[in-house]
Amino acid sequence: MAAGLQTRRNALRLLWEKGLAGRSLLRENTRIVDSQLAHWFTGCPDTTGMALVALGGYGRQELFPFSDIDLLLLYEEGAEERLDSLIEAVLYPLWNAGLEVGHSVRTVQQCLEDGAEDFFFQVALVDARLIVGSQTLFNTLQNRCRKVLVDGKRFDFLNKMSTQRKERIDRFGVHGFLLEPNIKEGRGGLRDIQTLSWTAKVILGMQQLSFLENTGILTIAEYYTFDRAAEHLVRIRNRLHYTCGRKNDQLFFEHQEEIAKALGHQSDGAMLAVERFMQDLYESMQTIAITTDLFLEHLHEISAVSAPGNAPQEKTDIEAGIEIRAGRIHLHDSTLLQKKPHMMMRAFTHAAKKDRELHYRTKKLIAANLHLINDRARKSRRMAKAFFEFLTAIRPDSVLLESLLETGLLTAYIPEFVPIESLAQHDIYHVYTVDRHLIQTVNELQDLARSSHRHIAVSDPRILFLSGLLHDIGKGTGSGHSQRGARLAKNVTARLGMPRRAAEDVAFLIKNHLFLSHIAQRRDLEDETMIMACAQKIKSRDRLKMLYLLTIADAKATGPTVWSQWKSTLLDQLYLKISHVIERPDLDTFQPDFPQATTWMRDKVQGLLEDAGLSFETRLLPDDYLLSFGPGEIVDHIRIRLKLAPGALHLEHKRDSAHWSILLVSTDRPGLLARICGVLALNNLQVLAAQIFTWDDGTVVDSIDVCPMLTHGYAEQDWQALEEDLRRAQETMEVFEHRLQKRIEPYEKKRPHGEHRSGVEVKIDNRTSEKYTIIEIYSTDRIGLLYDMAKTFADLGIPIYRAKIGSKADQVVDVFYVLDQNGAKLTDQPLLERIHSALARIAAS
Amino acid sequence: MKKIEAIIKPFKLDEVKDALNEIGIKGMTITEVKGYGRQKGHKEIYRGAEYVVDFIPKIKLEIITETAKVNEVVECIRQAANSNKIGDGKIFVHPVEQVIRVRTGEKGEEAI
Repeated sequence: MAAGLQTRRNALRLLWEKGLAGRSLLRENTRIVDSQLAHWFTGCPDTTGMALVALGGYGRQELFPFSDIDLLLLYEEGAEERLDSLIEAVLYPLWNAGLEVGHSVRTVQQCLEDGAEDFFFQVALVDARLIVGSQTLFNTLQNRCRKVLVDGKRFDFLNKMSTQRKERIDRFGVHGFLLEPNIKEGRGGLRDIQTLSWTAKVILGMQQLSFLENTGILTIAEYYTFDRAAEHLVRIRNRLHYTCGRKNDQLFFEHQEEIAKALGHQSDGAMLAVERFMQDLYESMQTIAITTDLFLEHLHEISAVSAPGNAPQEKTDIEAGIEIRAGRIHLHDSTLLQKKPHMMMRAFTHAAKKDRELHYRTKKLIAANLHLINDRARKSRRMAKAFFEFLTAIRPDSVLLESLLETGLLTAYIPEFVPIESLAQHDIYHVYTVDRHLIQTVNELQDLARSSHRHIAVSDPRILFLSGLLHDIGKGTGSGHSQRGARLAKNVTARLGMPRRAAEDVAFLIKNHLFLSHIAQRRDLEDETMIMACAQKIKSRDRLKMLYLLTIADAKATGPTVWSQWKSTLLDQLYLKISHVIERPDLDTFQPDFPQATTWMRDKVQGLLEDAGLSFETRLLPDDYLLSFGPGEIVDHIRIRLKLAPGALHLEHKRDSAHWSILLVSTDRPGLLARICGVLALNNLQVLAAQIFTWDDGTVVDSIDVCPMLTHGYAEQDWQALEEDLRRAQETMEVFEHRLQKRIEPYEKKRPHGEHRSGVEVKIDNRTSEKYTIIEIYSTDRIGLLYDMAKTFADLGIPIYRAKIGSKADQVVDVFYVLDQNGAKLTDQPLLERIHSALARIAAS
Repeated sequence: MKKIEAIIKPFKLDEVKDALNEIGIKGMTITEVKGYGRQKGHKEIYRGAEYVVDFIPKIKLEIITETAKVNEVVECIRQAANSNKIGDGKIFVHPVEQVIRVRTGEKGEEAI
């Protein structure tokens, strides 16, 4: 007998291979099992007061090839003793045939009791269908069920059903758009269709879903789209069952490829066959999910209206044509849309700001009016304003962006989105389709922004969120998606009327959205030159912040395996390192191609020296010095150096457009920089910028830009006295200091006493440079400040090898590259503390 | 047979992998790990906020090889992973009792 069933199932497979597909196959399968069970049942000697009832999917005549067969053996009180022979005749052969059977043996009363207790069983009863046996008994079950379990409890059923659906979706993936979707339990899966069918049966008393079109919930066209999607899903599940040879509902990658091929999808240069197949599947699941959402929402609305004692719904007008009713945003005046298509976006803006959802009728209204989003609307300033307000206001867990996509408004407004809609990415990293990934990225960005991650605030959030939304827009047409995405984004930002700088930022972020994560994982973060090169590429702190946030959001939105604490640590390190240097004054002139550039310079200088008949060891010139001057200038310095008597000092000065510049060449000795700074202060010259280099032979080359503190011209400046002072300062430090003090005092008195100096900061950095300890001092500028600092180093016996003096308004940043007397980095903690406190005191005084 | 376990800097992975490929090592297991040794964790100060990096991200490679090849593999990793800086990593060599290929049941060096 069991063998007979097996033969029939083999016949079913043959039918399937010959092309019997979709729901026809399910009905055929049901018919095969029905007739076998009926055969066994009628073979039993005495079956009075008994019935075989099909439940669940089998009850609906939707028996998938490897699904469980849900059976109920229904019997009258008193028939117990005759049950054994029926069980023997029916269940044993089923088990022997190796079928998965879910069975129960119950009376009508037990069914009612269990149904009241167990919601799953109650739902299974909704699909109950008599296979064979007592019709009267079955009718009793149906009638009693309706009276006891359904009447007066319809909306209770609805609520339970909705809760159950929510729990199921949470468990199997909020997005049906997971790349390995569960086509039964996931959002938009077959279970959603069943949910629809159960609620329609219980609440509206509809036996078939096709009646839906009569209720006004769906248009005929919408119903057919839904029906096609349902059939599509059934076909895929049939194939999946046969492919796996067992009951399985999760579409793993390996199955996807096989099924895609079997369904005749073709690969081309841009998209794999499997990606096309999945795109179709996502569209079907999407249709089913939306239809189910809509249907349940409609029923909830009816239940709220018809529930006794409910006050009429409160409504609040938000703006002309848009109101909030029962917690939902409504576009209630559709006639306005003709003139003001941007109201569709406004509805979303309000929803985002009030953290509400759009009413489903409003969503349908928008979907039906997308033709109003024409070129003009796409360039409309009002539309852009509403869009940006929406984009920056949505909460991280909001579904509004999905609604924007699902209504079609997003693709209508930004047509660049069309090619990536439901686009699958067939790799092991991505969990979501491209469109969902982009939405998820924006949600993650919102989350980061609200968690005040790393205290990061960006100056224009619109740039960040738009970049998040568009960063993968170039996908789906082969490699190079970042570049292509940046190009596409330019069209978008132009239509949205973004200012040029902002548009450039968006393009930059999209083009480089993989840059930081790539560098963090594949480059030596200790490499100073590499960090500088990154900073040069990124250019501004604001961009760096946005790129950093986008990198995190992108990774988090890709899939659970992509973002880890490990990667986060590497990225944070890179971010902090770049952020330390991105505002360095020499950022633009820094040569990232260090070794190559210095070799070139050395050769060039060597050549010029030979031409001039001079001889000097160019290896004595440090790399950063070589990169700070032109070859001609360097040869000039060497010429000066060669003529310089031991201990002497050479001074040159010239007038540039905005300031005067001084070149000093001498031999290094302790306190030299302090004296120079002191003398400049003494001669009423303020240091604007300074570059101080020490060659390996001890020659000091200082290039200092100055301007007069008192208003007088270049010609009036007493350069003679300056040079004289410099020479004298070499000799007696004490006398010099005394004179300087007298010079500075009058200025000191002018300053209001007790004024607090803010923004003073001293940073000692032993990490950024491999060779030197870098000391940075931020403070307000004053006369003699530089002298005081340089003198502090001299007093502590610390030679300064390089110094960079930069000022912005009245704020100065002084950077000193120092080593201890043995030529090593400063690591002695007590010494570092002394330096720190001495400099901080000077900077703050 | 020996198991060679190497802790290296993440950015050196590609170089090490290529170098091992060249000497005929085709299989390895890679893990993202965190830890610290002589290259201690450090503190970063950024705009007043402090981020303590107490465990530094590293890559752990595990390779099983026949005993005769151990020195060659170790030297290969050492050279490729070396940047002459603190924190370049460590290599451990452990004895391995048995290797079994799951699919065929082959044992010993054949299963490597």
